[in-house]
Amino acid sequence: MNEDDDRVLVRRCRDGDRAACEALFGRYQKPVYNAALRLLRNPEDAKDVAQTVFLKAFGHLADYDPSFKFYSWIYRIAVNEAFNVLGSRKTFGEISGEEPDEAPGPERRVEGEQLSEAIEEALMSIKPDLRTVIVLRHSLHLSYQDMSDVLQLPEKTVKSRLYDARQLMREHLLQRGIL
Amino acid sequence: MTDQPSIALINAELDGELDAAQRADLARCLLADPQARAQREQLRRLGELLDGMEAVEPPAGLQERVFAALPQSHFKRRGLLSPAWRLAAVLAGVVAAGSLVFEAVKGPQPRSDQLTGTIAAQTATMVDTVGLGEGAVSGRVSLYRDRAELALQFEIVTSAPVDVLIASGGHTLRVNGLGGPNKPGASSGRTVQLPGFEMEGQPVDLTFLMGGRAVGKTTLRPAAGR
Repeated sequence: MNEDDDRVLVRRCRDGDRAACEALFGRYQKPVYNAALRLLRNPEDAKDVAQTVFLKAFGHLADYDPSFKFYSWIYRIAVNEAFNVLGSRKTFGEISGEEPDEAPGPERRVEGEQLSEAIEEALMSIKPDLRTVIVLRHSLHLSYQDMSDVLQLPEKTVKSRLYDARQLMREHLLQRGIL
Repeated sequence: MTDQPSIALINAELDGELDAAQRADLARCLLADPQARAQREQLRRLGELLDGMEAVEPPAGLQERVFAALPQSHFKRRGLLSPAWRLAAVLAGVVAAGSLVFEAVKGPQPRSDQLTGTIAAQTATMVDTVGLGEGAVSGRVSLYRDRAELALQFEIVTSAPVDVLIASGGHTLRVNGLGGPNKPGASSGRTVQLPGFEMEGQPVDLTFLMGGRAVGKTTLRPAAGR
C-alpha cells in the first residue's frame, strides 16, 4: 500500500469526500476481510468484522494520527474486532476451532484443497495471539516493525510469538505428514 | 535438539530480516547441525504454504452495507467536495445545463474546449464530456483534471440507481448508487474523484449497471484534442 496515497485519501475522507472513503474501502476491504477470515475461519463473522472495522474507521478518522501508517491503524481495529468475536464465542461456549482435530496419522498425504484445509486447521490449532502474528506476517505481509505497531507490542515480543506460532504449526503439520 | 539461537536465525531468514553477520552465523549453525537443516526446510515449506494461501474476495454487497450504515451526514455535513471540486462541480452543472440547451437549440454538441474556457480559469479543467441521450441512462458525464488528478462529474437520470464501473489504464473503480429518477428541485449531479488514475491520454471507459446488468456504456477521451 502506498502510504502517501493513503494519507491523501484519509484527509479527503475526513473532510467528507465520499469518493475518497470509497477508494480507501476498495483498497483495504480485501486484506481486512481476509485477515478476519483467517483469524475466525467463519465467512459470516469475517464479513461482520470487516463491516464493523470500516464503520469504526470512517467514524473515528478524526482520532487517527496521520504520523502513523493508516494500514497499521485499520489492521489494529480489525484484530481487535476479531478478538471481540473470539471472546464472545468463548462466552457462549461455542467451538472456537482451537482444539486440534483428530490426527489422521503421519502417513496421510494431502494435496490442493485438502492442503489448504490442513493449513487452516493448523492455524486454528494455535492460540489467537499466536495466530494473529501469523496472519499479519503471511496474509498481510507486514514487517516486524509494522506488526509491532499493529499489536502495540515490542518487536521482540512479536518475533517471539511468530517463532512460537511457526513451531507449533510445524509440529501440527509434521504429525499429519504434511511437512 | 536445535538450539534457540538457531531457530531465531532460521525464522529471521524466513522473514528476510537477516543481516550479513547473522547470515554467516546461520550458515555455521546449519553446517554443524543436521537437525537445524531439517527444521529450516520444514519452516521454509511452512512459510511457502502460508504465503500460498489464496486471498478470497470479500462478499458482494459489503461496500453497500458499510456505506448504507454510515450516517449520510458524515458526508453532507462536512461537505462532499473540496472547495476546488465544489466550484468545478457547480460550474460543470452550469456548463452541462447550458450545453444541453445548446444541443437542443443548435443541434451538434460543442467541442469540449469551447466548454472549458470558463473552467480552465479555475483549478479544475474539463477535458472531455459526453451526452447520454439514449437507453436507460440519460444526461451527461464530464471528465475533469485538477493538476495531476482526474474526476468525473455525473449529471444523469435513470429509472433506478445505477452502479458505474470506471476503467482506464489498468485502474478500475466501481461507484454505486448514481442517478435515479429526476425529482423536481433535486440535483442529480455527483462528482467522483479518480485517485490513482493517470492523465496519460488513455480513454476512460464507463459501464453503467442496473441490478448487476450492463445497461449502457460510454468512453471519455482525455487526449481527443478537443
